[in-house]
Amino acid sequence: MAEWFQDNGLLLGLALLDGLSSAGLIFLVAVGLNLVFGVLRIINVAHGSLYAIGAYSAASIGIFLSGRGLPDWASIPTLILSAALVGAILGPIIERLLLRRIYAQEEVVQLLVTFALFMILEDVQKLLWGVQPIHHDTAMRWLGTIDVPFGADFIPFTNYQLFVLPGIAIVTLVGLAWFLRRTLTGRVIVAVTTDREAATAMGIDAAKVFLLTFTFGAMLAALGGALSSPTAALVPGIGAQTIVLSFAVVATAGLGQIEGAALTSLMMGLGRSIAVYFEPELEVVVPYIIMVLVLLVRPQGLFGVIETRRV
Amino acid sequence: MSDVLLQATGLRLAFGGVKAADGIDLGVMKGEFLAIIGPNGAGKTTFINMSTGYLRPNAGEITYEGSRITGLSPRAIVKRGIARSFQLPQLFAEHTVEQNIALAVASRDGIWSPLTPLLRPGYRDEARDLLDRFGLSAIAHARADALNEGARKLADIAMAVALKPRLLLMDEPTSGVAASEKMGVVETLARVLRDAQVTAVFVEHDMDVVERFADRVAVWSQGRIAALGPPQQVLSDPAVQRDVIGIERHA
Repeated sequence: MAEWFQDNGLLLGLALLDGLSSAGLIFLVAVGLNLVFGVLRIINVAHGSLYAIGAYSAASIGIFLSGRGLPDWASIPTLILSAALVGAILGPIIERLLLRRIYAQEEVVQLLVTFALFMILEDVQKLLWGVQPIHHDTAMRWLGTIDVPFGADFIPFTNYQLFVLPGIAIVTLVGLAWFLRRTLTGRVIVAVTTDREAATAMGIDAAKVFLLTFTFGAMLAALGGALSSPTAALVPGIGAQTIVLSFAVVATAGLGQIEGAALTSLMMGLGRSIAVYFEPELEVVVPYIIMVLVLLVRPQGLFGVIETRRV
Repeated sequence: MSDVLLQATGLRLAFGGVKAADGIDLGVMKGEFLAIIGPNGAGKTTFINMSTGYLRPNAGEITYEGSRITGLSPRAIVKRGIARSFQLPQLFAEHTVEQNIALAVASRDGIWSPLTPLLRPGYRDEARDLLDRFGLSAIAHARADALNEGARKLADIAMAVALKPRLLLMDEPTSGVAASEKMGVVETLARVLRDAQVTAVFVEHDMDVVERFADRVAVWSQGRIAALGPPQQVLSDPAVQRDVIGIERHA
């Protein structure tokens, strides 16, 4: 074992650095999905579409504004604002026009409806942006690279992936934890998550909480997409990949634990990254192996609690 | 009739073949404590659920202060001044007792900015006042899931009172409370509700509690009101003793 570390320690270090940015993106999307499921009790398959549309919109807006002289430094705030815009427009439309009609339906109907929405949005995305790859990496290029020592050599890492993505994920984690625990609105959201019936008995406007939470969850999905857009060319199908991975995170972490979602995202991100360096053919399945192993031991997830049903 | 606060007329509701309400006519008078007794499954909780918007009757209507409330949402009914408590206290486990009450105070106000702190001075002061009235000040900072059943019941009802209702419907406020605590819980409850001039309807299985605190008793049996009147009169009725109290004592 010690010998293995001696031979592969540096490589492992690089894998961990790579995994951080991946974990940050996974966390942003998964925590939104977790929040929406916790409050609305709907498994929103279309969360992946919001990620994809967030990515495409951010790239398009970035390309458009760069062509009109937007300074390079402004490309990072543009990514965040684009995501907020996508969430603020699509979130209320989807919640009001579609989800509100199916809250009382069986889970299988809810799943089918959001899956249908996912399929529709995938095609809308192809109609709007076509199937050719889109790439806009000004934000990443502007921040440059940092040389990470690798034995006698140096390996360049982009500052964007090494600092910005994990940084925004950490700010989101801390901000969300503060918001949910310290503010009245956050406490109301937690109350509706814990016991919708009791919250309604207090006169809490559950419909407003649903709208607010879904919109916020949509913004987080779009933010994940927007922040990923400078790192890779956007192609159709990114939404499907993301939603499946996010489900794995939520299932592994358990419901309602944002710190749990963060830690699980880190496990998944690092797991994938280590696989890329050491066993590349396992990259895709590593998150699901982690999920299966965890659920075999703790069916409620790493941080979830078993809920007893009131009668 | 101006003394009637809540009036149910011809209420009917069946679950499959079970009639939980089979033509209920019942008026709740302003300022009274009305106890509803009867065997399990008779439809007592169903009446509370219908009066608070959680269930819609198949037929009949409920009016509150002369206005029809049948079919309104639970939230709309709360806003009109009817609050409820559940058989199992519905406290938010992760919150302290004070936070639970403050949440109820804030939800009554209904308007706040997204970053308003939960324990902002106005909410906190009102929560503390309520805790004081309910004798819960000593456990204000205890987590709700660490309380004994008597304190949980009182805290749950304090949350309902925080909504400043004129009518409070309580589903078995003493169930699960240790016998030694029971009378203390009800005495506190009765004092706070009388001080706040809240009319109360409570489903109860303990006849000592009913006899001591109810102004009137309604006996619910198979979806119908079998008897209605002052406790002494109703509880001494041989039919009630045989069909209801006998069952209660052996339940």
